Amino acid sequence: MTHRYVEHVGELELELESSSERGLFAEALTAFRELVDDAGVHGPPLRREIELPPEESALLLADWLGELIFLAETHAFVPRRVVALDLHGGGLRATVEGERGRPRHLVKAVTLEHLDVSQREGCWHGRLVLDV
Amino acid sequence: MAVSSSTSDLVRVSESVWEIPATARADMRVPARVFVDEEMLAEIAADPSLVQLQNVATLPGVVEAVLGMPDIHLGYGFPVGGVAATALPDGVVSPGGVGYDINCGVRLLALPLAANELGRRTEPLVHELSRAIPAGAGRHGALRLDDEEFERLLRLGPQLLVDEHGIGTAEDVERTESRGRLPGADPAAVSERARVRGSGQLGTLGSGNHFVELQRVDPILDGTTAAAFGLWEGQATVLIHSGSRGLGHQVCTDFVRRMDDVAARYGIVLPDRQLACAPLSSPEGQAYLAAMACAANFAWANRHAIAHSVREAIRSVLGNAAADGTRQVYDVAHNIAKIERHGGRELCVQRKGATRAFPAGSDEIPDLYRAVGQPVFIPGSMGTSSFVLAGEPGAMEHSFGTTCHGAGRRLSRTAARKRTTGADLRRRLAAQGIVVRCPSNSGLAEEAPFAYKDVEHVVAVVERAGLARRVAQLRPLGVVKG
Repeated sequence: MTHRYVEHVGELELELESSSERGLFAEALTAFRELVDDAGVHGPPLRREIELPPEESALLLADWLGELIFLAETHAFVPRRVVALDLHGGGLRATVEGERGRPRHLVKAVTLEHLDVSQREGCWHGRLVLDV
Repeated sequence: MAVSSSTSDLVRVSESVWEIPATARADMRVPARVFVDEEMLAEIAADPSLVQLQNVATLPGVVEAVLGMPDIHLGYGFPVGGVAATALPDGVVSPGGVGYDINCGVRLLALPLAANELGRRTEPLVHELSRAIPAGAGRHGALRLDDEEFERLLRLGPQLLVDEHGIGTAEDVERTESRGRLPGADPAAVSERARVRGSGQLGTLGSGNHFVELQRVDPILDGTTAAAFGLWEGQATVLIHSGSRGLGHQVCTDFVRRMDDVAARYGIVLPDRQLACAPLSSPEGQAYLAAMACAANFAWANRHAIAHSVREAIRSVLGNAAADGTRQVYDVAHNIAKIERHGGRELCVQRKGATRAFPAGSDEIPDLYRAVGQPVFIPGSMGTSSFVLAGEPGAMEHSFGTTCHGAGRRLSRTAARKRTTGADLRRRLAAQGIVVRCPSNSGLAEEAPFAYKDVEHVVAVVERAGLARRVAQLRPLGVVKG
């Protein structure tokens, strides 16, 4: 599983790659954590349940990050790892572990610009532009 | 995104205007026009912002031309520094054409004393500003409203804070674009998630490129207009840059998705999904305008509340006379859609990273400024000057009453971080005598001056193009970064 930021003058463009669709979503959480984690004082571990209705894969990925943005902004939740993640019938159910922190440089939103999830040569690829 | 040889299609229209004709692409309905000079054109050609501008020219109902200001750079859907006007009733409105930070904008406060009178109190004042104004993402403000009050705030904007909380003055509201209140705001169009995101954020700066900057007026470039704006050489000023925070971000998110779902139903074919839109007359278009107006009013109230905190910081460090004598010059929006009359038609002007710049005589301008034109504030990059401009008649003739909004990025955040560190930047700014307060070193590095275009060059172009004229330069003394 990997992620990298592509040059984008105005915003942040993120490329994700994984051997599985589930891994792609987990990698998106890792990338998000890197953006918001202030590496400061953290509280005890917390778990959050996330459930998303069915959507096309790319929009589901945007919704997944949208949930993480919401939790960080309104609950100061810094996600650490995916404990469980089930992609069923086009929807998503996940348990995410993290802690209450002071998330930094928060992402405002996930745009639809260049938004894509695809499977090529046995690998899952994701691409999205974050408004920062 | 549609790909086009955009720069090779450019033709020069005048000294400061270049155009890609509508014939350059089969799907363009109007030309794409950009206000630049030759030097800027080379820089703009390095990113696909002109392709994005051409994509905007495909929107149904778009009239005359889509416009790029000299601070144009790559955005999402619309380029930043982009302007489009669509005809009522069935032209489209695109939430991405306003952007996620609805009514991100700037407000200028003028202190009743000279910057050199601050002396050793400069650093304590910047420190007090950083203490008084919650910065960083998601930080909560001190002002909490109950649900009913919050709904009325979305309808009324800063007027509610004046009338019911004694925050700011009626004069502040009068000296705000649209008097801080867009008509048609309907809280019922704002999702619960947007309310939750915005409910605790009134009076907070946010992160990214948002800031509060202490400045010195130096020099005055148009004495008559500066006097009308209440500005004088050497005066201390404070410039506030913030927006609608999580509430606006969520309103845009909600409506981009909603319009992405329905665009095809209206027969709209888009070269870029982020341009998702719907006719202004449609239920989705009407609901977006109602929700966007709420977010715009919230943003004006947010900057109004921040201005109150600025005055309290001034009171704490400089005393009551300085705080009570601090006047608001004006407040302008950068990201907004407004119904305006241009060329005898009623249009929806969508400005993304662009500022309204109405000339003298406009009845949209406060009486105090009607003889000289609307004040416009163009922030520079951190450590460089900002400018006060005034709207010119050319803006009505050439740009739907619009000018630029800032210096405009030229380097990505990643590239900026590769070239400097926050600590190094703090040292360099300190060497220039500029006090910096920023919660994040990486955030600071991303906003390094070299990551932006030269703001003096940008304002020179809009002046040459007749969109706005320079009134005063504002030099930084200290900055609080979000």
